[in-house]
Amino acid sequence: MNIIVPIKQVPDLVEELEINSDGTDLDREWLKMKLNEFDDHALEEALLMKDDSGATVTAIALDGDDIDKALYAAAAKGADKLVKITGVSGNSTHEAAKAMANAIQGMEYDIIMTGVQSVDDRDGQLAVILAHYLGNSHVSVVTGMQASGGSVTVQKEYGAGMVAEFEASTPIVLGIQAARETPRYVPVAKVRRAQKSSTIEEVAAGDIGVDAGSSVSKMYKPDTGAGAEMIGGSAEDQANKIMELLTQKGIK
Amino acid sequence: METREIFRNFPFLMQMAFYVIAIGSMAVFAYGFFRRYKKYRQGRDAERFNNIIARFAKAAAIMASNRTIFKRDWYAGFAHSLIMWGFVILLIGTGLVALDHDFLRFFDVQLLKGPFYLGFSAVLDIFGLLFIIGLVMMMVRRKSKPAQLDYTRADKSETISRKGYSTDDMIFMWLLLLIGITGFVIEGARIAADRPAWEMWSPVGVGFASLVDMSGISANNVHMYTWWFHAVMVMFFIAYIPYSKAMHMLVDYANLMFKDDMAAIKLPRVSEERQEVAMGYQKVEDFTWKELLDFDACTKCGRCHVSCPAQNAGTPLSPRDIILDLRTLVDGSSGGVAEWFGQSDSNEKKPKKLAGGVISKEALWSCTSCMACVEACPVGIEHLTTIVNLRRDLVEEGDMEDMLQDTLANIGDYGNSFGQSERMRAKWTSGLDFKIKDVRKEEADFLWFVGDYASYDARIQGLSRKMASIFNKMGIDFGILYDGEKNAGNDVRRVGEEGLYEMLAEDNIEVLNKAKFKEIFTTDPHSYNTIKNEYPEFGGDYSIYHYTGLLIRLFNEGKLKFPNQLNYKVTYHDPCYLGRYNGEVEAPRLLLEAMGVTMVDMPRCKENSFCCGAGGGRIWMDDSKMDTRPSEIRIEEALGIGDGVDHFIVACPKDYAMFTDAVKTSGSEGKMHVKDIIELVDEAMGG
Repeated sequence: MNIIVPIKQVPDLVEELEINSDGTDLDREWLKMKLNEFDDHALEEALLMKDDSGATVTAIALDGDDIDKALYAAAAKGADKLVKITGVSGNSTHEAAKAMANAIQGMEYDIIMTGVQSVDDRDGQLAVILAHYLGNSHVSVVTGMQASGGSVTVQKEYGAGMVAEFEASTPIVLGIQAARETPRYVPVAKVRRAQKSSTIEEVAAGDIGVDAGSSVSKMYKPDTGAGAEMIGGSAEDQANKIMELLTQKGIK
Repeated sequence: METREIFRNFPFLMQMAFYVIAIGSMAVFAYGFFRRYKKYRQGRDAERFNNIIARFAKAAAIMASNRTIFKRDWYAGFAHSLIMWGFVILLIGTGLVALDHDFLRFFDVQLLKGPFYLGFSAVLDIFGLLFIIGLVMMMVRRKSKPAQLDYTRADKSETISRKGYSTDDMIFMWLLLLIGITGFVIEGARIAADRPAWEMWSPVGVGFASLVDMSGISANNVHMYTWWFHAVMVMFFIAYIPYSKAMHMLVDYANLMFKDDMAAIKLPRVSEERQEVAMGYQKVEDFTWKELLDFDACTKCGRCHVSCPAQNAGTPLSPRDIILDLRTLVDGSSGGVAEWFGQSDSNEKKPKKLAGGVISKEALWSCTSCMACVEACPVGIEHLTTIVNLRRDLVEEGDMEDMLQDTLANIGDYGNSFGQSERMRAKWTSGLDFKIKDVRKEEADFLWFVGDYASYDARIQGLSRKMASIFNKMGIDFGILYDGEKNAGNDVRRVGEEGLYEMLAEDNIEVLNKAKFKEIFTTDPHSYNTIKNEYPEFGGDYSIYHYTGLLIRLFNEGKLKFPNQLNYKVTYHDPCYLGRYNGEVEAPRLLLEAMGVTMVDMPRCKENSFCCGAGGGRIWMDDSKMDTRPSEIRIEEALGIGDGVDHFIVACPKDYAMFTDAVKTSGSEGKMHVKDIIELVDEAMGG
């Protein structure tokens, strides 16, 4: 089985985020990047399938800040091939999906797994648009899956904790919400080894020529404090104030 | 002329029979010895042949004094030294007899005659008696079933039987005792039959002679039969040595000789070529010959077992079991003979993996790296180094709990275990009314390596600010690295994440080497240990103080004064990485004394301190499955002092976090107050 896992680097939310001067995007100059958490889960699910029944896992990503680091880390975890798509200028999901589709078209694959969304745009459409360009079926918000022969059984979580199960034939594109297990730790020594032994195959993005779809007109931090009361003072004062408020609201 | 006849009244053929048996038994000994030697030769190289004469002398001194056995167990030390010295003197005596009879005789020379013989006779009698007394003392001790001699496995395995160990103990003890007693019976029978004029030179023998007289049996017959019984047992004993616990007489000398004084304090690096393949131990061939020697050196005295905090907390870890299980494994797979009286597993399914198989991952992850096992071991076993080498494989396999995994990822991403931005590292300084120098930009006398907990933990940041104010008030010229500092890596290394450790050490050393300072100090004993002992190998050689050491120096120089004498009654908890690892037990006590505090030590103190349970990465793991947390056991110990001692003084940020917690979870709030020495110094200086 061949599994392709599109991954991307996103801004690290632990750091203070700044808006750029246009007010339409983050100031990307000093951002610290890390692997999109959902992509980490997609990669983990692919690697678990590889551990269980054997598969060739390819990690693929658009060129960008620190992307080599993410790809080598994927190799260290167990990905067999690394592909970097170069020459993509826009960063909309539509453009990314088209560039991915161009690169993947020539590759052999049964399942494409990617994170259901990423924290930097909350767009959540990469899997579905990719499926559209490749002409494959698609399920999103996947929380579990089993593959046998040319078909896959996929679990998707609905509201209220309901789980729906789908049968689908491969090739298929999946948006992964969570892997069966916590994504594995990759020790530094393994990453170092991967940097020496793995190669990142570079592929040109090819003809993208698609509309970027929607774009952000304004990005800003919500006003803090509106509708909220900040309680200051010592721990005791704070506790007293909270007690007072709760009593006022009739909770006692 | 005073002497005695060897092979008294023995016909020639009987003498020959003895030599045949003797040669046979020595051949069996030699074969077993060779098998052992061959096994140790299979071990990976360990660099332990430097300073060989000093090593030899040190081991000889330890053995002669039995000081590692006397340590904290006067009774066992005394009994062992009686047995050992009795054995050694009797061995020398027998050697002299053999030299006289089998060698010098052919040159018409005899040593054992006249006054020398009389002295020889008296000395051997006395040491023979001491030998028997020592053995009886040990037998009495066993009757009282001390906890450390309970061989029950920490993992409570039902398929593994350790009857072989007890059998071996019994054979060993009874053989020695019977050999000792029959030796005196032979002597007594000879004296009873011959009644030489110099019989009082065999004081114990004379006593036995009276017994032979009283028995009414022919003294010559008693002599003959007992002689043979004694001889056969001695020959059996010689043959039995390499296949049993008795081999500790030889192996443990070697083990003490090759022990590394820095074992576990400074962990071994992984060579570059090995890094390409694996970081940790995966197979028997990965053990060094010193480790193979370690496994065989264990006499099952159980001191590591009872001192281990993880064992006390009821986890499946016992350092003793790790060593013994590895002995069983290695001996079985490499043709040794050390496990003839070993443990047997009725479960046919043998685990394939070493870390996480032969040694369970639960046991490996329970280790707090406190080093109590290494400190307690009387025979120089380096348990902790082996544990870390096995953990390195678990890390490589990603076989660890989520919380630890997240922490390691955080340390890799942000240089701290809290998963906070590295830019926030010095945020704790913002509450100060003065600015601390940035030693990356300005020169200072002292560089304060703050460490993760003192920088990020909300419970400890207040202590850090107090520390800063104390130094500021004294007018000490100091600075910090601000966001240039990263986790020092001490515990990352002991978790087994060697690659990450190297990265941290290299990053810190790069910053430190560019910074301008004369000396370093830290409040964190963990950082202290790795910077002091492990950074030099990575190119970072600094003079570093734990803050207690620096404060006592400043006190002695008159820069630190305590106008407010304190009236507390306290006990002091030695941090593992300060007391046991680095021998700094005096500075904190001197400081407490200088502040007027009354200090009473807990039963386990100084190098025998009992771990809080946080080390070796345990602070980043789940401790809810323990019977009782080590920190709670420790608070109980402190409460046990009574006598108005109600302050528990620490000198380590992790201890502060662990013990303030333990006081709450054990319901001891109000009864015991946890304070860092920093707080007392602040009070004694006048706030």
